[in-house]
Amino acid sequence: MKKTFLNLKTFAAIILTASLMTACSSEDDTVVTPEPDTEEPETEEPVEEDPRWITVAAAKMGEDPGDGNGGTLIYSVTSVDAKDPTVSIDPFENGFIAPSNRTARLQSSEDGNTIFNISYAGDTGGNYTKYTIEGGQVFTPSGSEVSIAPYVGTAPRWIKLFDGDQTGAAVYVSTENEFDENDNYARTEATIGVVTLDLVNSSIKEFQEHSVPLSTEEEAAGYYISRIDMPTLNAAGDKLYIGARLSKVDPATAESDNDFDILGSKTIILDYPSLLNPSVITSTVGHGNTNGYRSINSFEYNGSVYQANQSDPEGSYILKIDADNEYDDTYDFNLDDALGIEGAYILAWRPAANGKAVVAYRHNGSAEGVAGLQGFFALVDLNAKTAVKIDDIPYDPDFYLFQYQGFVVEGTEIYLTQGAVGQNGNIYVVETETGAVTKGAELVNTTGSHFIGVF
Amino acid sequence: MAILNQMKKIFTALVFFIFLSVQGQQISGTVSGTVKDTYGNPLPFASVLVEGLKLGVLTDENGLYSLNNIPKGKYKLVVSFVGYGTRSILFEIKDKSKKVNLDFTLQESTEDLDEVTINGKSKETKLETTGFAVSAIKTKEASLRNIQTNELLNTTVGVKIRQNGGLGSEVKYSLNGLSGNSVRIFIDGIPISTYGNSFNLNSIPPSMIKNIEVYKGVVPGHLADDALGGAINIVLHNDAKTNFNASVSYGSFNTTQASVNGLYRFDESGLTVKASLFHNYSDNDYKVSGRSVVVTGLGGVQTPITARRFNDVYRSTGGRAEIGYTDVKWADQFFIGVTGSDDYKEVQHGAFMTITPYKDRFLESDALLGSINYQKKNLFIKGLDVKVNGLYGKRNRAVNDTVSWAYSWNGERAIDFRGNEYQYTWGSQQEGGPTLAKIKRNVASIRSGVSYAINDHHSVSFNHVYSGIDREDSDALKSVLENTFLGTRDLKKNIYSLTYELTAFDEKLKTSLFGKHYQQKTTSVDPAIVSDADGNDVVVDEVVSSNKKYDGYGFAASYEIVPNIILLASAEKAIRLPDETEIFGNDGDNVIANSSIDPESSENFNLGFRFGNFNIKKHDFTISTNVFTRNIKDRIGLPIETSLNVDDELIIYVNQGSGTSKGFDAQLNYAYDNNLGLNFNISRFDLKIENQGIEIDVPNTPFFTMNGGLRYSFKDLIQKKSRLNAFYNVYFTDEFSFLTAQGSNTVGNEFFAVPQQISQDFGLSYAFPNNRFIASFDIKNIFDEPVYDNLSVQKPGRAFYLKLNYTINKF
Repeated sequence: MKKTFLNLKTFAAIILTASLMTACSSEDDTVVTPEPDTEEPETEEPVEEDPRWITVAAAKMGEDPGDGNGGTLIYSVTSVDAKDPTVSIDPFENGFIAPSNRTARLQSSEDGNTIFNISYAGDTGGNYTKYTIEGGQVFTPSGSEVSIAPYVGTAPRWIKLFDGDQTGAAVYVSTENEFDENDNYARTEATIGVVTLDLVNSSIKEFQEHSVPLSTEEEAAGYYISRIDMPTLNAAGDKLYIGARLSKVDPATAESDNDFDILGSKTIILDYPSLLNPSVITSTVGHGNTNGYRSINSFEYNGSVYQANQSDPEGSYILKIDADNEYDDTYDFNLDDALGIEGAYILAWRPAANGKAVVAYRHNGSAEGVAGLQGFFALVDLNAKTAVKIDDIPYDPDFYLFQYQGFVVEGTEIYLTQGAVGQNGNIYVVETETGAVTKGAELVNTTGSHFIGVF
Repeated sequence: MAILNQMKKIFTALVFFIFLSVQGQQISGTVSGTVKDTYGNPLPFASVLVEGLKLGVLTDENGLYSLNNIPKGKYKLVVSFVGYGTRSILFEIKDKSKKVNLDFTLQESTEDLDEVTINGKSKETKLETTGFAVSAIKTKEASLRNIQTNELLNTTVGVKIRQNGGLGSEVKYSLNGLSGNSVRIFIDGIPISTYGNSFNLNSIPPSMIKNIEVYKGVVPGHLADDALGGAINIVLHNDAKTNFNASVSYGSFNTTQASVNGLYRFDESGLTVKASLFHNYSDNDYKVSGRSVVVTGLGGVQTPITARRFNDVYRSTGGRAEIGYTDVKWADQFFIGVTGSDDYKEVQHGAFMTITPYKDRFLESDALLGSINYQKKNLFIKGLDVKVNGLYGKRNRAVNDTVSWAYSWNGERAIDFRGNEYQYTWGSQQEGGPTLAKIKRNVASIRSGVSYAINDHHSVSFNHVYSGIDREDSDALKSVLENTFLGTRDLKKNIYSLTYELTAFDEKLKTSLFGKHYQQKTTSVDPAIVSDADGNDVVVDEVVSSNKKYDGYGFAASYEIVPNIILLASAEKAIRLPDETEIFGNDGDNVIANSSIDPESSENFNLGFRFGNFNIKKHDFTISTNVFTRNIKDRIGLPIETSLNVDDELIIYVNQGSGTSKGFDAQLNYAYDNNLGLNFNISRFDLKIENQGIEIDVPNTPFFTMNGGLRYSFKDLIQKKSRLNAFYNVYFTDEFSFLTAQGSNTVGNEFFAVPQQISQDFGLSYAFPNNRFIASFDIKNIFDEPVYDNLSVQKPGRAFYLKLNYTINKF
């Protein structure tokens, strides 16, 4: 019985290896053929760089459709293949399983040649690993083992900073209610921990802890920072911005309060790289949380940091923090207004260097899909404060973007993945200058699973 | 004592006239003899019954029995003993032969109770054994060796135990793939949760236990509870013969276990006192290694080490004392008693072994409970049996985690990337903050059963179990205000069952039909602030209660197709009531109430065959198999995180999806010439769950296990009349993945694999000639294989234990 099984496995492996080899050779063909075409008009640049790796990330179903808890699988193709609708990619069948108990939070190097992963939950939660991308399912581990768990726990919220792939930053917050001598509720103390990780040398760079108080009135009313995430460097590289979610307790009972006025969006600011001198800034424009979910939520562009907010009663805003490290409250970019919808909620987004960005969002009109509300993509212009829904991408009711993590920016083009829960999809490439959408490689799905982006 | 005497008088008065109808006999005979095991040792307390006459007796300490007043006629004499086979012989009392001598030799076996169904015609086991998928685990041999109760269960066919470490660590029980809340565990029919963490299968020594019954999927009426996947019933000793035994064991990891059990019966009055005491201690400082066992240096550089666990001490102490009457006119058993227990368990890590082991996090629990227990067969009228078992008391649980300093796997303070000792941001060992949480519970449970045998073919029984828990939480680290607004949760369950049993076709067919009625009342009291008529804020208790009623039913049947080949079938529509957290939520975990939640339900089916016991020359063997399916509906779980609920501080339990478990169990017992014993069992199942029409294999499930055992007895090896038993056991668990099944060509799967495990034990047990002293030596995990019940949670490696037992049955 056992032997037969092994033989079957070996047999399957041989067949698959053989078919993969044929697949590779056909890939080579597609790479070879277009080369003369692209080289001919651009005679001034005789040396064409190798195409960037595009790594597709897919989240397998755990117990519930769309929960993404059954493993995070990655598979790399060239950008040429990624744009080719005749190419078919099946990460669930052929991918590499990123070592993470729950959905891995992935990052890639700017050149697309390295994948960075910090394991989320489980016995290795907090472990940092990096892999050199060799194409297909081959990801070669590099660097030594290091863990950020001692500083920010085994389920860390981390992001790669935009400093040339040098640094990752992860954050943690713990809270404790404080009472006066008469046992009346006084305030809730929120202590944040921030750690920076040297991505190149796999070592811890810096760690600091701070209390992040709110204003006296806000604290007396029971507000506190309950979750933080999405550290981002300012343009000068001397401040780190950290997104925050606010919660509230009922001061009368010290129990959590679920029905409260939402305050202006807040961001914690620390000196960088020392991670000292915390302060909290507040927007008067936006009133939602700024901690995002799994995808980078704020980006530096043209000297300012643009930050999305979530759960804003007026619909998501993109907020602007200027070089003076204060919210620019004259910058008012509301997605509800720009798209003419209600209840816009930015799930993930990414600008190109031209100030044009692709935004993944849902709104009150989204269909209720198998795993939550239907998602859409829009092309937004940070300068003009305009947004247009991208209609060239198909939107199934089960198309769900809550766990969406990754876009790849290559020049003015932005790569993204599309695919409803349990259905095949495609890579799409959005030319942000023109809004033109190119349908790329097919993404083969499996039951209850979905794609969470490209890296 | 005065009360006792009074009670005795009342009972005597009550039942007095029942016994007026005792019939006079015209011609009566006597049957007597001895019962011995296959080594020729007398078997005390074996049951000897004259079928059809409801006449029975237990053998004395010398294995002797004698039954008088047997009227003229032909009878079958049935002899049985737990852990041994059953033998029966036909005899006749005639005018000329009034005295019959019959000697029996009983075969030792790891038999299922259902064997008793087949061969055994004994009245007392008939009820429990009609066609159910049941395994009975004898504890007699294990109690003399260095074997834990949990280890014994784990080798039982269809049962899988998953333990998060060594002695005293948290255990989960799985029956045919169903686990957690789906499996109910009882001590003498009382839910084990009533006793708390300090009196459980980790702490109770096998020597306190008479046997363990494991009902898979279908649970008989007399053990009715909301047991979706089955029930495990621990039957404590209930003999009425004076005896005393003591044992002490010492071994690896500074593990000490001691137990004393004694019973004294004043033969004239029937007054009986019995007491049991146990003490367990272990440092659990066994060696571990693996991907998370590292020491972190400057910059966070990790160095793998082999570490000794340093925060894993377990200690438990407990005892039970009872006084009452046995084998008196008004009661077969009447006891009142007290059970006390206390335990301390350090916690080395959370659900997984991570690079940040815990230091000085520990759990404590204690319980003090009073018990009452009454049993009488043929109460008032012939065939009416009554049994009552009750428990009431308090139990407490405390969690202590106040150390904020980080520790390393070498047991010393950990250093951060700068080289300094450091404290966790969250101020405790486990993320979530320091705690001195205390949970106080008032618990009560009473089970009562009445059965009436209309005649030899028909009987009915009615059973009721009540269990109630009043729970109160507090945390010394929290403020007065926070403790004021902590809610209380009360849960009261009443479960009724009605059983009808039919025996027909010359006892070839045995059926049991039962219906169960479940009723659960839960009340939550949450203090809240409201404005009174004058506009002042006042604290009031918001009381929410729910009272739910459900029904279930099932049957079990066995049919002897040809002698020694029996078909067994059973089925039940079982339910599991939502627990207090699922209904009312839990403030600490931000779970809110869902008072409309439905119970989980399951349709459970078993179909089995039993071949044997076959005797061919000196070979003796039995094979039994069971195939099963479990079809679960309305599984209770937490919904997935979405953009709509991600900011909600509160989550809610919901009914979501269905599930199935299908598989088979098989068991072989073989003996040769009474010296060699071999047993082997195999269990395999597929466990799937379905959500929104999508079915998946449940990951993290050990779905294929095998266990084998060999025993060889050497007689008169060193001394005459001595006995040396050598044991060898092997346990196999196939590889399983922590993660859902992946594609056929993926890489990186090994990260999530719990590898195939084979562990082997060896033991020797030497009984000195007088059979009073028995010394046992055991080596566990001889080849020091890494064993895991859970991903990356390593269990103890090779270990040595020595145990001394002393037993007397006559003072």
